[in-house]
Amino acid sequence: MEALAKTDFIAKEEQAAKPFVLWRPTAQTGLMSWLTTVDHKRIGLLYGASALFFLVVGGLEALFIRIQLAVPNNTFLSSAQYNEMFTMHATTMIFLVVMPLGAAFFNFIMPLQIGARDVAFPRLNAFSFWTFLVGAIILNIGWFRPDGAPDAGWFGYTPLTTRTYSPTHAVDMWVMGLQLLGVASIAAALNFIVTIINLRAPGMAMMRLPVFTWMTLVTSFLIILSFPAITIALVEIMMDRLFGTNFFEVSNGGMPILWQHLFWIFGHPEVYILILPAMGIISEILPTFARKPLFGYPIVVFSGASIGFLGFGVWSHHMFTTGMGTVATAAFALMTMAIAVPTGVKIFNWIGTLWGGHLTMRTPMMFALGFVWMFMIGGFSGIMHAAAPADLQQHGSYFIVAHFHYVLIGGSLFALLAGIQYWFPLMFGRRVSEFWGKTSFWVIFVGFNVTFFPMHFLGLEGMPRRTFTYDGNMGWNLGNFICTVGAFILGIGLAIYLIAMVYAYYKGPRSLKDPWDARTLEWSLPNPPPVYNFQVTPTIHARDSWWYEKQHADEIAKEEAEHAKAEDTHGGIHMPFQSIYPILAGLGILIGSIGVSVVDPADPTKYPGFWGPKIAVTIIGGAIMFVAVVLWSLEGNEGYHIHLNPDGSIKGDGAQKHY
Amino acid sequence: MSSQAAAATLDHHHDPTTSTGIPNKKLLMWAFLASDCMFFGCLISTHLIYRLHPPPGTPIARQVFSIELTSFSTFILLMSSLMMALAVNAIQKGNLKSMRWSLLTTIFFGCIFLGCQVFEFNTFVHEKHLTITNSILGTTFFTLTGTHGLHVLIGVIWLSGMLLYSFTGNLTQKDAIDVESMGLYWHFVDIVWIVIFTAVYLLEYI
Amino acid sequence: MRYSQFSQRAARWAGAAAALAGACLLSGCVWFDGPQSTLVPEGPVARDQLRIFYVTCWVTLFIFVVVGSVLAYAMVRFRARSEADEHAAPPDQGHGNPMVEVSLIGASVFALVIIAVPTLKGIWYSFDVPEDEKANAYEITATGYQWWFKFEYTGETAQTLDPTGKPASAPLTTGNELVIPAGRPVRIALRAVDVIHSFWIPKLAGKVDMIPNRANHLWIEADKPGYFWGQCAEFCGESHAVMRFRVIALGPREFNEWLNNQMAPARRAEAVPGKPKPQFAAYRTFRQNEAGYTDAFEASPLDAWRRQQKPDDAEDTDLIAKGRALFQSKTCVSCHTIRGDGAVGVTGPELTHVGARTTIAGGLLENNRDELHRWIHNPGAVKPGNKMWVSGYLLNNIKLTPEDEDALVSYLRSLK
Repeated sequence: MEALAKTDFIAKEEQAAKPFVLWRPTAQTGLMSWLTTVDHKRIGLLYGASALFFLVVGGLEALFIRIQLAVPNNTFLSSAQYNEMFTMHATTMIFLVVMPLGAAFFNFIMPLQIGARDVAFPRLNAFSFWTFLVGAIILNIGWFRPDGAPDAGWFGYTPLTTRTYSPTHAVDMWVMGLQLLGVASIAAALNFIVTIINLRAPGMAMMRLPVFTWMTLVTSFLIILSFPAITIALVEIMMDRLFGTNFFEVSNGGMPILWQHLFWIFGHPEVYILILPAMGIISEILPTFARKPLFGYPIVVFSGASIGFLGFGVWSHHMFTTGMGTVATAAFALMTMAIAVPTGVKIFNWIGTLWGGHLTMRTPMMFALGFVWMFMIGGFSGIMHAAAPADLQQHGSYFIVAHFHYVLIGGSLFALLAGIQYWFPLMFGRRVSEFWGKTSFWVIFVGFNVTFFPMHFLGLEGMPRRTFTYDGNMGWNLGNFICTVGAFILGIGLAIYLIAMVYAYYKGPRSLKDPWDARTLEWSLPNPPPVYNFQVTPTIHARDSWWYEKQHADEIAKEEAEHAKAEDTHGGIHMPFQSIYPILAGLGILIGSIGVSVVDPADPTKYPGFWGPKIAVTIIGGAIMFVAVVLWSLEGNEGYHIHLNPDGSIKGDGAQKHY
Repeated sequence: MSSQAAAATLDHHHDPTTSTGIPNKKLLMWAFLASDCMFFGCLISTHLIYRLHPPPGTPIARQVFSIELTSFSTFILLMSSLMMALAVNAIQKGNLKSMRWSLLTTIFFGCIFLGCQVFEFNTFVHEKHLTITNSILGTTFFTLTGTHGLHVLIGVIWLSGMLLYSFTGNLTQKDAIDVESMGLYWHFVDIVWIVIFTAVYLLEYI
Repeated sequence: MRYSQFSQRAARWAGAAAALAGACLLSGCVWFDGPQSTLVPEGPVARDQLRIFYVTCWVTLFIFVVVGSVLAYAMVRFRARSEADEHAAPPDQGHGNPMVEVSLIGASVFALVIIAVPTLKGIWYSFDVPEDEKANAYEITATGYQWWFKFEYTGETAQTLDPTGKPASAPLTTGNELVIPAGRPVRIALRAVDVIHSFWIPKLAGKVDMIPNRANHLWIEADKPGYFWGQCAEFCGESHAVMRFRVIALGPREFNEWLNNQMAPARRAEAVPGKPKPQFAAYRTFRQNEAGYTDAFEASPLDAWRRQQKPDDAEDTDLIAKGRALFQSKTCVSCHTIRGDGAVGVTGPELTHVGARTTIAGGLLENNRDELHRWIHNPGAVKPGNKMWVSGYLLNNIKLTPEDEDALVSYLRSLK
């Protein structure tokens, strides 16, 4: 059977050259190689770089917010600017920082952890990234337009987002940008699901998957099942805004509460989309630096999955103040408490992993331990919200702001920063300075707590969120001032972290293979990993497979030599061609989206009838996208074969001969 | 190995290159359809919620709908699913000619369905005065059925593209999975229509 | 400096900073008794919600101490102490212990049950007035607008004059200051006409949203007469931050006096024979977004409210009459109601007795001559994007001379 498939490949090598439009780019270096790349590692790096850029943008927005609130009755920002800042800060941090940083690791690390040579659909993967980037551009384009940036909150509650109350294009851009990010996320998630289910190396049973890969899978399922809800909600508000439909038009019977339900059916799973990858990263780092396996692997996996499952049943705890009635409130309160159990289980298991280990306190481990502490605090304030009557006081106050920053910075971001430090040697073959790494950790840790711990008290003191000013007689002055000081400390910490990282990228000391004495498969690769990932498709014998390989080196070497020979006779390593069409499709989407969300509707005196600049731009963009997708499908998922020398270098001139 | 023998051993239900034996494209399509279920679920929920809370002056759906026409187009869509299944079966057996006829019929039925929908929308707007903006019923009805219509349209374009592609000679028995994933999509669109037909139309006649 | 020394020192600093911060927090109640503090409830609903909060607090604090101690112990006890230790043979490769897992899950569930029981009770308690007190509950309807609150006393009837000048009746309506009877449950129906708002008086009860096309309600009760701060708690647009209101709880006698005064049509200031015409001081100017309250007012707000009920010592009846005329001619009447003075607009707050309120501009500014002048001089600077500015002044091109402003201020101040 297998032999048959290979013969077909060889037979195809003699096929005639494709016509010009189906030209396949082959650049290995330079700008073109990045624009047309289908390599999961490069796409991962593109996600990572974009996310870090937006981390700086979102961080500056946060600092502007804190400057405005440093003293009562401040005039650093106007209310309109402040509303843009907090809307874009949240949207940026959630959709353009934490999610793509997660996606960076999904892309770069996950295929390596399961012994795959790439994701299942490399071009779709590239398309996901470019669509993500287009969405990010559309979201931020308002800063450079007279309409201004989106300013209706990241939750976009109707009817505030309807045309009556937000007449400019700012909200159109927000709607369109989020739509595109949804498309990008769903496409990427579908790809990861197929990859994890179908491209595991021989012997990599589901219950041998590294926990990070498991969490990628759960997160991907959450994405494909929850993003449709916000997509539909956005479609509805878009129809209302563009075509005057009545979904949220109160005067015609529309019910604004519907938006909240649709939004939070997405919004709560989204919270787990942000935190589960972080939990996966922590579940990789703690065992590595404790030098023992994860405590209770099946329970950690199962609790991750059940968090994902229960995550769909708790959305209304964001709506306790909407007057749902007693029974619904009680049900959602109990569900929310129930979801605390699998979350707590993870913490117990992480402590169990540390127990009896040999803890090596390197920078990734510091961030990971910081995560466990901070996430615990964030989790506890989460339980406080589950008590619905108490939540009536906390909802919409700074107590909530404190809570979710503990979960999203102390949780997600700490874990992602830990992950960057942890995998940096693998990604770039260099090491970040331990001294500056740890310094950045302590500054971030202190700055973070100084910023957000007082917010609990501000919330209990009755300070509402999303307010651009407050009076000096409310007892909030000291707290706000401390928060602002903390925010600057946090900013300095992140700056140290990023500068140390950039420095290490260019000048850092070379790292040996597997510098942390790690346990999972990606560390079996030389760093940085070669374009084809695995010289020989690995065979998996145990859960912590690289640890097992290190213990059984001779046996594995023999096995690999046999497999290498077999694989070479089968035609070598199959590599996918690069493609220009994903980015072309993205370009079409960009133009079309500008037509939909940025261009003004035609002035009927100048453009009578249907046609006008808005329609024209939209249709041109759509046409480019359509043509790109058609050519994309016609060029096919073909590729070329490479053969390796024993040292891992590619035989011959590396020319990409069509097979 | 002769091509005859190769054909005989082709197993369309097992792909040796994947961990599970399920072809990647099929798995992708199933996962996408799971996601699409949620899309339609949200739209149908929106329609049903507003059906339960009609504002005063909402048109009565039964006086607008023409159940005979919709039943006919539903039947046609179901028949197209049958033809789609035949097309998949044909390509799996390597019978390109039979596949083309089946695909063509599927496309034809899809177009009839779309034609019925265009006629229906036209009648509703111009004779029954139900527009997308003048009532919440119009808003949810046209958005939901329009989204489904868009799915059918994409399906028809995809089917036509595949039909044209089959004449290039590049579509062979080995590419049956491409037709099969397309078929999954088409069947899904049909099944969703059954749900919509029940929830939007039949419900009004109970 | 070796990094282990460094990190130990850093940890010590962090610990000291945390201790200092904790001491700051605990030392002064200055942190906990602000006018919107949920930690100092002054009514049964807020008190019950605070009690539940404390239950969650103590349970989670207990878990935090236990789990945190174990985690801290593990971090210290199992830490590699030297370079050599880092490279020592790996520890026992244990995979977990099902018994430990199961018992920890059981313990978590038990802890959650402790929270769940009072939560469930509290949900029903917060939701509506208890059955045995329903008959005694006072009913009010509150409606949220961008960016102010309207209060309708559905059970009361106010007097007004119909267009022909004959006495007529109208529902009693006020804006931005909610006066309630103390010691008696008040059931407030919540409505919104434009976007979503949220009605929150932290010292009396948690918030409930005001949502268009949806009937919500909440109930509050003030233990004793008092003055409370409230604020919109759902983002509602450009001036959400300055959408505030006040609640004044009064004893039964004082509440009835207030009601009687409110039900009367607008007051007409009468010239006191022999009293010289007052000379008002020049209006002070304000910086952008300057605070709109004075310390004297803050010291005893309920007394300040009582003072506001009495007419000002100095009233210029000519100026007031001019203001009344301007209120008509400058189209103020198309948005505001002043019962008896021919103003019947409903877009903006009801102003029949605005002079007797402690605040104006949606609880943002103290009600005195300077702040009134600041508000009508340029409402857009005080409350960005508000209707009086955008759809009033700008749309109708309303220009007020300093004399006009003076007259309008005197008129509005006289409406006790």
